[in-house]
Amino acid sequence: MNKNKEKLLNSRYRAEKRFQFYGKSAIFLALLFLTIFIFKIFSTGYTAFQKTWLIVPVTFDAETMYLDENPSKEDLEDADYFDLALQTMFNLDKSASEKQQNDLKRMVSYFFEREIKRELLNDPSLIGKTKDVYLTASDDLDQVFKGNYPRDLPEDQRRVTDYQLKIFDQLVEQGRVESKFNLSFFTYPDSREAELAGIASSFMGSIFSILVCLVIAFPVAVLAAIYLEEFAPKNRFTDFIEVNINNLAAVPSIVFGLLGLGILLAVFQLPRSTPLVGGITLSLMTLPTIIIACRASLKAVPPSIREAALAMGASKMQTTMHHTVPLSMPGTLSGTIIGLAQALGETAPLILIGMVAFVNTIPGSPLDPAASLPVQIYIWAESAERGFVEKVSACIMVLLGFLIIMNLFAQIIRHKFEKKWS
Amino acid sequence: MKKNGVKMIKINSKNVDVFYGKKQALFNINLDIEENQVTALIGPSGCGKSTFLRCLNRMNDVIDICRVKGQIIINDFDINDKSCDVVRLREKIGMVFQKPNPFPKTIYENISYGPTIHGMAQSKNEMDEIVENSLKKAALWEEVKDRLHEPGTGLSGGQQQRLCIARAISVKPEVILMDEPCSALDPIATAQIEELIDELKKDHTIIIVTHSMAQAARVSQNTGFFHLGELIEHGSTDKIFKNPENKRTQDYITGRFG
Repeated sequence: MNKNKEKLLNSRYRAEKRFQFYGKSAIFLALLFLTIFIFKIFSTGYTAFQKTWLIVPVTFDAETMYLDENPSKEDLEDADYFDLALQTMFNLDKSASEKQQNDLKRMVSYFFEREIKRELLNDPSLIGKTKDVYLTASDDLDQVFKGNYPRDLPEDQRRVTDYQLKIFDQLVEQGRVESKFNLSFFTYPDSREAELAGIASSFMGSIFSILVCLVIAFPVAVLAAIYLEEFAPKNRFTDFIEVNINNLAAVPSIVFGLLGLGILLAVFQLPRSTPLVGGITLSLMTLPTIIIACRASLKAVPPSIREAALAMGASKMQTTMHHTVPLSMPGTLSGTIIGLAQALGETAPLILIGMVAFVNTIPGSPLDPAASLPVQIYIWAESAERGFVEKVSACIMVLLGFLIIMNLFAQIIRHKFEKKWS
Repeated sequence: MKKNGVKMIKINSKNVDVFYGKKQALFNINLDIEENQVTALIGPSGCGKSTFLRCLNRMNDVIDICRVKGQIIINDFDINDKSCDVVRLREKIGMVFQKPNPFPKTIYENISYGPTIHGMAQSKNEMDEIVENSLKKAALWEEVKDRLHEPGTGLSGGQQQRLCIARAISVKPEVILMDEPCSALDPIATAQIEELIDELKKDHTIIIVTHSMAQAARVSQNTGFFHLGELIEHGSTDKIFKNPENKRTQDYITGRFG
């Protein structure tokens, strides 16, 4: 009998140990996947924050720019810089054939003209002088410099010609190639050229969409939640509503996209591809999340607080507004932020309402066409150029950073403002 | 208190029945509560004494499935009548709960809440006075006067319960209902509250639900004994404890069930 008991006891201890082992392995596995994922993104993406520049001597020859003597500011503004820019590149190899000249031109971005113009506008006294100017390297050379481009491929399978590589290597030797922080990744809108593509338009698009979403979803959801939780009679009809709100939270997001397409764009004729429409669509998605979070935190307020207020002669409305709602706010707010973070990462509905369009302007209001960060990731991931591969990862990093900050904020609100009751 | 030898009746309940859904919880309760006296309601768990207490300030309204029948007359007015305004009623009839439930706000705000919503103070000074007086009456002033703006939830259990009593008397109610106010407290805190109850009966009529027969004997002048939803016996505490008429009362008091 005693022996049996001991056996039973031992097997109970063993069962607990086994269970702990399973639990630990599960956590280890989850962390492993997360680490691999983050490592992959960082190792591919970190180079996108660097940009390669060619430092090329530009001779600001008035004749090449078709300028008269003593040009005014407007003259400089209107002057033709294209020939000057071309000439600058051709000067890298004076003996180049026509085909090779074409290769030379393709070593920099098509912004080279603008970059030279900016230099002169900053300092008009440069006319007739020669100065080293930083020109954005083409994305292929950028990748070569970062070591992401296989140089040993046969030439006909490369986008970079042997001739370009030769000139580029000469420039590297002369110290005329430099890698600097890629500010334009944050300040430029999207572009077909990888070296000029930035997240400014999609970042602003995301911010506007989230703001529209917040402004619509938060008040509606909080009012609905307070009414349902505190005032509505408990009957079949309210049960039915509750079930449907929970169902709404489980509806695939693309369905909301179709709704936005069919109603907001087709019926109400709202402007296509805009954060306004995107935000409204996302708010439909966020609504149930906030309602559920708000109701849960209203439920978590102890009934003793309500009873105390009611027994003091507070009306139902006063009890709710003075006590229950303020006490539920930390939970509601952190639920809202989590809902918004979800909306921020949403792609499918935005694609349907046209936020997938190529937008190369930075939106100034929710009524301007824009992309959003996740959609930008999707657009770039579809692009063939090697320069976009690192951009995809970099954009994911920005999005993840955004999400982490939002979730951190939700945690802080929850911990800081949550009142403890005995 | 006897005025000209006649006991003043503050609350008069006639044929009160209470139902939770289909289940009847109270059967035909007829109980008169004397003014400026402490009335104790005793009985085993689930006998309906708390339910009856909550009828007196219509706190049962909060429970959807609860229905109350019969008349409860306070100041010649039936509180179950449709014309009765619960907000007014609860201003006149304060309540202290089993578990101390201060608002998660400062001590000052806990007391000032009632007077604020009922518009009882015209100025900051007046409010300060109300807060000070209420805390003094609840024998808490000396302990908290230096930290009025600290959270009420930071006080000890006994202090919290006295804070709740101070909150209840801040609106100068005529009646104070106490639902097992000491059941979550230690003996020292309990003794303080009992002393306080004795003091408060000068200005208020007090009805206290208690599980402790010793407590009922110590603090109350009148006692009502509930069993299975019925009021078995009521009368002066002396009589109920020393010379009960009903066999069941006697059995409960001598500890044979409960």
